[in-house]
Amino acid sequence: MISTALNISLGMISLSMILIILRVLRGPSLADRVTALDILMTTGIGFIAIYSIYSNNDIFIDVAVILALIAFVGTIAFSYFINRENR
Amino acid sequence: MIISILIIPLLGGIILLLSSKRPRWHFTVNFLVSSASLIAAVIVLTQTVSGRILTLQIGNWPAPFGITLVADLLSSVMVLLTAIIGWAVAIYANKYVNAHQAGEGFFALMQLMLFGIYGAFLTGDMFNLYVWFEVLLIASFSLMTLGSTSRQTEGAFKYVLLNLVASAFFLVGIGLLYGVAGTLNMADLARKAAMMENTIVLQTVALIFMVSFGIKAAVFPLYFWLPASYHTAPIPVAAIFAGLLTKVGVYALIRVFSLIFIHDTNFTHTILLIVAGLTMLSGVIGAAAQNDFRRILSFHIISQIGYMIMGLALFTPLAVAGAVFYIIHHIIVKSNLFLIAGIVERIHGSFDVSRLGDVYKKWPLLALLFFIPAFSLAGIPPLSGFWAKLTVIKAGLDIRQFAIVFVALGVGLLTIFSMTKIWAQVFWKEQPITKEHRNTGNNPVWMELIPVAFLALLTIIIGLLAGPVFEISNRAAEQLLNHKPYIEAVLGGGR
Amino acid sequence: MRSLILNTALRFIAPIMFLFSFFLLVRGHNNPGGGFIAGLVAAAAITLYTLSSGVSYGRRLLQIDARLLTGSGLLLALISGIPAITSGQSFMTGLWLEKTIIVIGKLGTPILFDAGVFMVVLGITSNIIFELMEHN
Repeated sequence: MISTALNISLGMISLSMILIILRVLRGPSLADRVTALDILMTTGIGFIAIYSIYSNNDIFIDVAVILALIAFVGTIAFSYFINRENR
Repeated sequence: MIISILIIPLLGGIILLLSSKRPRWHFTVNFLVSSASLIAAVIVLTQTVSGRILTLQIGNWPAPFGITLVADLLSSVMVLLTAIIGWAVAIYANKYVNAHQAGEGFFALMQLMLFGIYGAFLTGDMFNLYVWFEVLLIASFSLMTLGSTSRQTEGAFKYVLLNLVASAFFLVGIGLLYGVAGTLNMADLARKAAMMENTIVLQTVALIFMVSFGIKAAVFPLYFWLPASYHTAPIPVAAIFAGLLTKVGVYALIRVFSLIFIHDTNFTHTILLIVAGLTMLSGVIGAAAQNDFRRILSFHIISQIGYMIMGLALFTPLAVAGAVFYIIHHIIVKSNLFLIAGIVERIHGSFDVSRLGDVYKKWPLLALLFFIPAFSLAGIPPLSGFWAKLTVIKAGLDIRQFAIVFVALGVGLLTIFSMTKIWAQVFWKEQPITKEHRNTGNNPVWMELIPVAFLALLTIIIGLLAGPVFEISNRAAEQLLNHKPYIEAVLGGGR
Repeated sequence: MRSLILNTALRFIAPIMFLFSFFLLVRGHNNPGGGFIAGLVAAAAITLYTLSSGVSYGRRLLQIDARLLTGSGLLLALISGIPAITSGQSFMTGLWLEKTIIVIGKLGTPILFDAGVFMVVLGITSNIIFELMEHN
């Protein structure tokens, strides 16, 4: 039962990752790409968490936690510079 | 005892880093640390000169699993040379590094770079060698850009890029090697590689390592970064780079191609031989087209490295001994030449040989001090370079490799030509008077002449006492070619 | 960059980052983690504060000069190898206390080494961030 759920969710996350990558490639503005990259990180965290259950290995959860804590730093740095360029 | 060689520069670097608010003390502290390193290096050499191999298992992990530090004769000789150059530059730097640069961490970075170089010479583990490369590279990147002019940044960029490529190759090679042999301890690798039946992967790894170390040693056709970057660094740094950094690459080549990749010497060492010949030629031809004092010297580093690789490639006991002798001679001479170029620049305000002149008339002592290393480099008897060239060429004649001997002799002649060019342009001819260029009015001071004189004296001593120095090189070569004591010292649980 | 959202969010996120960084540091010896990644997480928190409130605030938050932090970290890492020499063993041999402590586990010289690495990474990373922010 749980494995079916895991498979479905892995599939959905993979699909959304592909869509996000399309958005990163198409843009059109820099802000779109940065936001898309941020969401890519978030889905990546979800992917790792599900994979952790899938492979029955709780070490991956820590990776997800670290990513969750650090992932948005890059986005904020980007927005800092976009903000500065607009000024 | 080995560990003291690593702890002294690291501790010195830390002290210098922590006292960055008091840059006035840095010169003295740096000098004391360098002197301590020199003493430690001499002690280690006295222990290994009899043929004993010192080992140290870091953290008490037994040999193939932990990191082993090994000091055989070649390593200790290299360590001693590093300490000598570090010591000479420590005195010399007094005039060239102002309080601001010292506060930025010049001396701290220099000690950390020496720390990396010592580590690379002493380690007995492949991956650890990679780590030491990175340590010394990070320190050297920062040293190179310390003035942060745009020319320096450009030179440093090329240097960083090429060295990162080399590191990537090295890492790939290490991965493959671990996949084939299941160990990265050099002694263990030598043992396992000797028993391996399928050597195709091993040959691939050998070629990858050849590319990686070849970039670091600046051999043909991977040398372009060297003349593009070395002359942009501050002179004390350039002297260390010129003397030591490429030699780390040469050392790694010698170590790996005499210990591990010796299956198919027909294949690997023939490639090395061709590379050696082309390196010699392209270096010396490149030098002929240059007009900048430091760029001429930089190109000569390349051609001289060809001789060392030639010694390794011929792979007879005499040839390897010649390569070791050549390294001893070259490190001292080349660093010295860079230091002299720095003095000339400080007096006359230029590195461009066409604008310089008259040094002989005004400073005959400086001219004499240039004369010794320059003509030693060119191979004039009885200076050290003559014996180094003679040994390598004799080794070539012994096994009838006439082509490479011919190249080596021709390159020797061209080197004489090139050194004569510097001599005639910088020291002999009258200085052309131009409007845009004026002498700085500085005089050479003892603080910079003492290290230069010290290194020149070493050149003469090596030339006059060629017998004992050759004996040491010979023993080092024997240790390199006969692996049994090395393997036993590392794996036999010795301390 | 003044951002109300970032400032408010930081008040909750930053303590968690520092706490998690400490957690990674102490358990690093036998599990994934260690001084390096712990230093990076702490440096990320410092970076966020620097982005939101300026370089001078970041420096104040770090308490001591970033370069000094790097130097003392190196020193601490070096010192962690010395006790082994004084007890007659090879340099850097790990020495452990007998007692175990909750969460942290056993105390020993490798913890000191990790703490040194932590300080070096934190010092270098924040120094780079400060320099970059100041020069632009």
